Amino acid sequence: MSAHAEATPILARHPATRLASRWRGVPGVVIGLLATIAFTTVAPTQGYILNVMMQAATYAIAVMGIVVVLGYCGQISLAQAAFFGIGAYGVALGTVDAGLPFFAAMLLGVIAAGALGLILGLTTLRLGGHYLGMVTISFQVIFTLVLTNWISLTHGPDGVPHIERPSLPGFKFLAAGNTYLGLCIATLVVITFIVWRLKMSRLGRAMQAVRDNELAASTTGIAVFRVKVIAFGLSAVLGGIGGGLFAGAFSYISPDQFRFDESIVLLTGALLGGVRSPFGALLGTVLLIVLPEMLRVLKQVYLVVYGAAVILIMVFLPDGMWGLIANRLPRRPLAAGPVPKLPLLTRTGAASDEIALEITGLAKYFGGLKALDGVDFAVRRGTVHALIGPNGSGKTTCINVMTGLYRPTAGRIALRGQDITNLPPHLRTRRGLARTFQNIRLFRGITVLENVMIGAERPGNDIAGQPAAVVERALAALDFVDLRNEAHRLVGTLPYGHQRYVEIARALAGSPDTLLLDEPAAGLNPSEKHALGLLLRRLKGHGLTILIVDHDMNLVEQVADHITVLNFGRRIADGLPRTVLDHPDVVAAYLGEPRQDAAA
Amino acid sequence: MPLLEIVGLTARYGAGDVLKGIDLAVEDGEIVALLGANGAGKSTTLRSISGLVPHVAGRILLAGTALSGLKPEAIVRQGVAHVPEGRQIFPGLTVRENILLGGSNRRGVSRRELERDTDDMFSLFPDLTRLERALGWTLSGGQQQMVAVARGLMAKPRILLLDEPSLGLAPLIVQQVFRLIGEIRKRGTTVLLVEQNAHMALSVADRGYVLETGSLLITGRPDELWGNAEVRAAYLGGKVAAA
Amino acid sequence: MSILLQLLFTGIGIGAIYALVSLGFVLLIRAANVVNFAQGEFSMIGAYLMVLLAIELDLPYLVALVIAVALMAGFGVLFAGATFWPLRARGQLPVIISTIGASILIENLVLILYGPSPQVLPGLFEAPGLQVGPVFMDSQYLAIIASAVLLVSLQYLVFEKTLLGKKLQATSQNQEMASLLGIPVATMVLITFAYSAALGGLAGILVAPLLFVSVGLGPLIALKAFAANIIGGYGSIPGAILGGLALGIVETLGAAYISVPYKDAFAFLMLLTFLMVRPQGLFGEKIAEKA
Repeated sequence: MSAHAEATPILARHPATRLASRWRGVPGVVIGLLATIAFTTVAPTQGYILNVMMQAATYAIAVMGIVVVLGYCGQISLAQAAFFGIGAYGVALGTVDAGLPFFAAMLLGVIAAGALGLILGLTTLRLGGHYLGMVTISFQVIFTLVLTNWISLTHGPDGVPHIERPSLPGFKFLAAGNTYLGLCIATLVVITFIVWRLKMSRLGRAMQAVRDNELAASTTGIAVFRVKVIAFGLSAVLGGIGGGLFAGAFSYISPDQFRFDESIVLLTGALLGGVRSPFGALLGTVLLIVLPEMLRVLKQVYLVVYGAAVILIMVFLPDGMWGLIANRLPRRPLAAGPVPKLPLLTRTGAASDEIALEITGLAKYFGGLKALDGVDFAVRRGTVHALIGPNGSGKTTCINVMTGLYRPTAGRIALRGQDITNLPPHLRTRRGLARTFQNIRLFRGITVLENVMIGAERPGNDIAGQPAAVVERALAALDFVDLRNEAHRLVGTLPYGHQRYVEIARALAGSPDTLLLDEPAAGLNPSEKHALGLLLRRLKGHGLTILIVDHDMNLVEQVADHITVLNFGRRIADGLPRTVLDHPDVVAAYLGEPRQDAAA
Repeated sequence: MPLLEIVGLTARYGAGDVLKGIDLAVEDGEIVALLGANGAGKSTTLRSISGLVPHVAGRILLAGTALSGLKPEAIVRQGVAHVPEGRQIFPGLTVRENILLGGSNRRGVSRRELERDTDDMFSLFPDLTRLERALGWTLSGGQQQMVAVARGLMAKPRILLLDEPSLGLAPLIVQQVFRLIGEIRKRGTTVLLVEQNAHMALSVADRGYVLETGSLLITGRPDELWGNAEVRAAYLGGKVAAA
Repeated sequence: MSILLQLLFTGIGIGAIYALVSLGFVLLIRAANVVNFAQGEFSMIGAYLMVLLAIELDLPYLVALVIAVALMAGFGVLFAGATFWPLRARGQLPVIISTIGASILIENLVLILYGPSPQVLPGLFEAPGLQVGPVFMDSQYLAIIASAVLLVSLQYLVFEKTLLGKKLQATSQNQEMASLLGIPVATMVLITFAYSAALGGLAGILVAPLLFVSVGLGPLIALKAFAANIIGGYGSIPGAILGGLALGIVETLGAAYISVPYKDAFAFLMLLTFLMVRPQGLFGEKIAEKA
């Protein structure tokens, strides 16, 4: 694109390039690995301190798993110790009983952990979050049961001794304590990097969206179930890796080390440090391993303290200790730089008679309540079509059925001629449908820019898979709503009217064909509403089809080409704005009719 | 002194100011209608009175006693019964049980007396008699509305707040409901009625207030309001002279 | 055949325990939308309280029982204040995590006080039991079944016939509307916590003579409560009871005909099966979130 060629010198310093760079953080990893090697030369080869460090390193890897599944994705897993144990037993049984080389055994253990994680996830994650919690506790309890009782396989309560570390013939030193510690720390460095990068990747953003607002995530094109399963599977794999290294570190494992208590230790470590950040995980693990080792005498007490700590953290310190630090750091605004305009605005498309969105005979009953009772209307391409009606007439239900949040009781929905009646929300988004919500559903745990990026990277959009282009598109969308300067802020800090615009920008960044706006003017003051009207007018003439639901008749008259009126779940008028608004049925619907037996 | 007095009420829902300093008064024995388009702040006004929504500024007084800052349970004990939007009938309880619980604000009253008052309600709403043991979720909208009003009256309130009683109801049923409201007034209950259906509301009210995006537009008697072009424009836009 | 009947009897007995614990669990879900991961600990504490009162302090059994249950009710209120109340506006997940923390705290506190060796609690009756036809009815099982029937009936009467019961139901069905009528919602929630803890404690006391009293009782019973709720239908009261009974029967039959050491695994397997095949359980409904 010629715009890129001209702007190349600026682009090198452009925020988009900087943010999306493939190499982000890589220097840090390299330094980390070099530091690890250096550290290895001075680390002890055996003894108490070595053991504490190995335990901390291997536990930290497992805690990273919790950061992914709970911190990023908001799903509660209480079986991390079980996955840790699967990895450990994979190494132990693989090397001791089956005579496999260390890494082969570890691979088996990790695969087993991942596979079980997938099975649990697939069965449970379609349901609410607490189901996963219950199922993982149950799995954890049963895991301990199996470890203790299936003696022929697991050696039972006696455990598995004599686990050997990896070694190459002739290079005995590799099995020494300090080298093995170096291996553990190096693995931790790499995994920390991966988990950190995950947070700013498309998948990471999807996970955070699911955590913050599952409903909006699905209408922004995210396959919610799949994302949850991946998050949980990843956490199981990380647990397995940590456990495998743990077995090699201590050369003896027993069922006692992988019980529910340890799942709590791992959870507490994540919460204490700050569950949404890999650095928080590191901080928390160090605290939780190092402190009780110093209080070794009070073994039972430290679990009491953990339990109390979990409650206190939830009440007083939900972002953990890392959160205390990170929340104090000022957020730097992004550097200025030109971005190509939204492609939406550069194309032209007049209104046509082609039908963009059509519903026929649409009905939705909630038990005895007929929210929609057979509604037909067609939205023409490139027009602004308003859907109005008194409170309770079925407008929001209509939008919810059109976007796939409710299944219709009867009827058909067609998007550009294709039947989408039974498609899940994210697949409708894939086909170019976008929406905003009456009560603003933004992802509050991430920045304005990240919110809009999620819109930009929706499946089916032309730039999906090109990180730099995604950032640019998001910035362009924010430019359009004049919020480019707020890109770096957390959405919760913005005033209400601006939050609305962020939601609109998120939808526009996806270059939708058809945009559904559910009461966009709700909560806006008159001047904000006027600005909204102007914004909507600017969108006209570019081929975008808009369906708007609202109560503000002045706004509706300002922007609508066509109005459909609902009352009691049925269509009572459909046509040009002033005609419809003057129609006696519509007037009666809004203002009511006189009482029949009233003395006036 | 008016029974209910509201001065400078400012309340927030989400991050935008929904009510921007409104003044309202209801005299004993009146029916006052609060009108306006959706989003004007009518329901928020009622919810502020009954304590569900905290207000940022302003005073709410019931016969001189301040209601500001009290919890809903305390406010209903002062004599304010709120029949909320959507009726909110307890779905798993019977009609009789729903109505009985309406008396929960009355301290020191025996079960027997509550049962007697419930019987009274059935004579006031004879159509409900055959539904006495029906569960809440099986009722139609109109039936639910009657139960909700009966439940509200059980509190022996000094003022009854009715939030959009015609919502989602077929026109014939709406007629019945408003006939009922007329009956209630004959028993001497004061009513503050929020309605989108302006015509219906004004046909039963003594006075009306019209809200527009959180501010008071106009107040007056029904005949004064009905012919007023501004009122119509508040609902339907257009700012044109009345048709 | 007589073996089958014997097993059914035992299964119903154990099932009754699970039903009681599940009942406590589901009531909290309905009243306050709380998924209490520490529900099993209530049973464990109840059992240990009996050890303290009936054995160490040598109080008469029934007196100790009443005091223990009363103390459990008080504990329920304390529990609500510490784990639920400060977090009630923050959503379901923080409360869940908080109850997890509580369960660990409780478990290990008891471990410090009593150590890991299991304690022995005698049953309610001296006599070993009755022979009824081919089935020998162990007296403790009879006590369990009788208590469960009594309790469920009593609860039914309270919920259906008393004004308090109606107010509790109203609070579960629509908290905001209940407060608009003047029902003291906070009190209703606390009462539910107290009752749930008392139920859990009683279940623990009844089952202890069969299983020994140990700290491990907690998570194990919690697992059964979860499974029973999901099998019966998440959020359903009759579901909790019937799910518990079903679980008890399947577990007992499984232990007898398939494998003893893996007895507890049956709960887990049933749980997974229902989640895969019929996630709404026997009586449950699907819940949809509105935009």
